[in-house]
Amino acid sequence: MRLPKPRLLLAVPAIALIFVFMILPITNMAEMSFRTTGTSEPFGEDYTLAHYSRIFGDAYYWGVLVRSLLTAATVTVLCLLVSYPIAWHMSKAKGMKAVFLYACIASPLMTGVLVRNFGWMIVAALNGPLNETLMALGIIERPLRLLFTQGLVILALVHVFVPFMVLPINNALRNISPTLIEASTSMGASRRDVFRDIILPLSFPGIYPGVILVYVLAVAAFVTPALLGGQMVSYMPTLIIGELTGTFQWPFGSALAIVLSLSTVIVVAIFTALTAKLMERSKA
Amino acid sequence: MSDATSAFSHQRPVNIAFGILIILLYVFLMAPLVMIVGASFTGGLLIDFPPQGLSLKWYFEFFERQDLVDGLLMSLRIGAITAVVTMTVAMMAALAGQAISGRLSGWFQLGMTLPLLVPELLTAVGLLFFLYKIELGKTVVGLQMGHILMSFPYAYVSIAAAMRQVPASLEEASASLGATGWQTFRLVILPLVMPGLAMGGIFAFINSFDLYTISLLLKPLGGNTLPLALFDFLTYEFKPTAAAAATLSILLSILGVAIVQKLVGLQRAF
Repeated sequence: MRLPKPRLLLAVPAIALIFVFMILPITNMAEMSFRTTGTSEPFGEDYTLAHYSRIFGDAYYWGVLVRSLLTAATVTVLCLLVSYPIAWHMSKAKGMKAVFLYACIASPLMTGVLVRNFGWMIVAALNGPLNETLMALGIIERPLRLLFTQGLVILALVHVFVPFMVLPINNALRNISPTLIEASTSMGASRRDVFRDIILPLSFPGIYPGVILVYVLAVAAFVTPALLGGQMVSYMPTLIIGELTGTFQWPFGSALAIVLSLSTVIVVAIFTALTAKLMERSKA
Repeated sequence: MSDATSAFSHQRPVNIAFGILIILLYVFLMAPLVMIVGASFTGGLLIDFPPQGLSLKWYFEFFERQDLVDGLLMSLRIGAITAVVTMTVAMMAALAGQAISGRLSGWFQLGMTLPLLVPELLTAVGLLFFLYKIELGKTVVGLQMGHILMSFPYAYVSIAAAMRQVPASLEEASASLGATGWQTFRLVILPLVMPGLAMGGIFAFINSFDLYTISLLLKPLGGNTLPLALFDFLTYEFKPTAAAAATLSILLSILGVAIVQKLVGLQRAF
């Protein structure tokens, strides 16, 4: 039986919400980036390309953009390295143990980014647990200044995004049938062969969305660099928010946001093209 | 032994090394949260782990700080409205989503989760301009709309997943017995999707409670949400009061996780 058409009308509020309060405003932002600088208002009446030529003509902005893109790439790679073993371990668990492990992933996910970053401020304090552990182990002699460093920003961002990577990989691993692995071991495949030829390719459907989501979110992460990065190192999101709330340069802030988004799209497109080739080669 | 790893169980050292690695990774995952909870009970004057003696004084201190309590109340209020609105709108959208078939259905799902996939920063910047244009800039209504938008996908994903479990034959049976569309919804569909609907509301509430970037750009004059107030507090007076506030936030998320486990099971929810 075909369902009655009026039912489709129920989607109208949701579509309106996303169209009016998201798609329209983001399109609006693209337009804003071509506006002139205003005097009494945050933006002017006329249109100009000046903001883009200012960004591309200034080595400072290039530097911040490249730093943002590279930091996000580092975060994504580290995140994958941390998440894969966790997802593997989780995919094997059953019963109450599985519930406990899911809770360990879900509780950080449902705790705000700000709260979790604050946790790292305690861990990395000068006389905090991390420094004390390292000194007790004899790895360092005196406490390291960890707060307000790029390293801590990266560490905290990895922590923020681990659940986003673990969950899709875990789902992919759970879909691998154990008989497939048993069959190949019984036919004499080594542990390494099984991993390389069966498990890794089959976990790709989880790795791929995880990597892209984490990268896209990491490039535009604002809270972590703002709280843990200090004043010395700038990232694109902190610059953008500064232009919008501090100096009220809406057109210039928009141009920065557009440049950041387009570069992210380009990086993701290159990544997709490269991995598509890799996938084909592994099939051949 | 059906466990896939069992085939390799003779490789003892490798398994032990893997076990240690897993423990370290979970320590990494849980450490910041444990530190906050520990530091909030300190009897000393500094944020420190392990805490210096035990006391609840920073919780009393928290409830005496007007700015933080105002932030908490505002976050709770905005979160509650967000939960109610997103549950309603997402329930309607999920009902419509059932009626869409084939390729279009995939696009519909994607569209409904868009606020989750596009960085919060972009949405926040766009909304800042848009709300200014429609003269809702720096108002509570504007901030509320931002929270509803950002939390909608969480509600939608949970409710749509619950809807997919309802067999179409039930609806057909109900209709052929003469029930109206509304009766079928209220008496057949709603009781079946209730756990998913409640879970969607919880996710939407918690997400709204945690939002920072969008609240920073859209914050109304003279109003702060708890995360905004907490950020200012951390920047200017790094005291254990912040750990008490953060612990309340962690408790809320643990409560949320526990309810979700009870309602639908974590494994199905994530």
